[in-house]
Amino acid sequence: MSIARTIFLTASLVFTSACGDDGGSAPEDAPVSDAGVDAAPDASCFTNPQTHEEIINACTTAQKIDKDSHPPLLNADGSLPPLPP
Amino acid sequence: MRWLLLLAVALAVPGSAGAAPCSDLPNPIYLQVGDTQTNLMKRLGRALRDNDAKPVTLVFKTAGSCVNIAQIYDATPIAGNENLQYVPSMAEDAAWTPTSPTLTCQAPAGGVVPDIANSALFNSACTTSPPPSTVTLTTGPTQAYVLAVPEASQQTAITFEEAYFVFGFGQLGQIIPWMDETQMFIRTVTKSTLLAWAANISVPADKWKGVRHDGSPMVVSSLTGSTSPEAAIGILGAEVYDGLRDTLNILAFRAKGQYAAYYPDSTSTSRDKKNVRDGHYTVWSPTIWMETVDGSGNPVKPDAHYVIQLIAGRSVTPAIDFDMQAIVAAVGLVPDCAMHVKRSFEGGKLSLYQPAEDCTCKYESLVDTTSCATCSPSQPCSSGVCRDGFCEVQ
Repeated sequence: MSIARTIFLTASLVFTSACGDDGGSAPEDAPVSDAGVDAAPDASCFTNPQTHEEIINACTTAQKIDKDSHPPLLNADGSLPPLPP
Repeated sequence: MRWLLLLAVALAVPGSAGAAPCSDLPNPIYLQVGDTQTNLMKRLGRALRDNDAKPVTLVFKTAGSCVNIAQIYDATPIAGNENLQYVPSMAEDAAWTPTSPTLTCQAPAGGVVPDIANSALFNSACTTSPPPSTVTLTTGPTQAYVLAVPEASQQTAITFEEAYFVFGFGQLGQIIPWMDETQMFIRTVTKSTLLAWAANISVPADKWKGVRHDGSPMVVSSLTGSTSPEAAIGILGAEVYDGLRDTLNILAFRAKGQYAAYYPDSTSTSRDKKNVRDGHYTVWSPTIWMETVDGSGNPVKPDAHYVIQLIAGRSVTPAIDFDMQAIVAAVGLVPDCAMHVKRSFEGGKLSLYQPAEDCTCKYESLVDTTSCATCSPSQPCSSGVCRDGFCEVQ
């Protein structure tokens, strides 16, 4: 194997591991890459999900829909206000 | 000939007090199930009527999951002479299909405690009481729940936060276009559909805004008949929606902490329940099947146990002459052996799950196509286990 080929493969592995995460360390607020419907895995997903948060955001080829939602009553910190009585 | 006479009577007076006695049907098993399980009752009922090795008649009524749990926990009888449902055998009506109406028979005069009761969600969502020693619980197929909109609606998705405001605040929630509480069609508080959604959007069942309907058909008719389709939204079992895809649409759902919204299936038009099976769609519950046992834990009615084992995907003796997984798949349920996530309470966090005897390949072959290798005695699997002609993981 040539040195150039070794460097290329190493670089490929680095970029591949950055796409998704099998160690559960991808940021949870990573933006979803698609705008609208997408059928391909995106960069902000988990390739080896273990926890609930990773399972629901695991890489998938399923159709997904990105929705830019800003409910007017959402608290400034993103938390939900209590239900009305 | 006697069954033909019964059928003739039942057809002549459907739903009337003059229906024939259910006890005259062959080997009746009495069930009280959620109305989300009606399609399962019809297809399985037909297959069991014609199950040569052990013919069984599923005689059933529908009620809310919480009511069903209380009924069997307390051994409360179904009222005497109440009209119950069943389906005809091939010999009685060869033209009957699952889209045909059920037939009606009359419960025994003294009433009858259901042999089988069904909850379409974790029992703990209805009661904190453990089951009495006389009742055993078996986990059956998984049931997904959906938010449906009229076909004319342009809406495609809803988030956890939006659903919280829509159903928890109603008009005050200011979520466009779902601000008209007369166009929000929900269920009463004993129904699994409402309780499952309640647990998934953090709005207690008794706090929901909207029009409460007793049955799924009323939610369906309210949605299809809505004069404000953009504002209309309703909750249904996925298998109810699956039978009505040409008249309703569903919304993809983005759960709390999720990056995007997903349908129960891998696309809006597929029927593979892929996102339920792998955890991308979070609004689902196991179906729980309850039966009465004696002091030693043995089934009081062995044929009721036979039916429950079938529904749970287990092998039975004598063997059946139909494909149970095909029935489960056809009604939009997911057999436990095809699930790859689990949870321990309603709306609880998901964890990974590997069924002991995986049937993912078989299930996928029934609802879509599978990429799994096929196998046979002369063509063994290179890895995994050969089951039902497919190389399953284990």
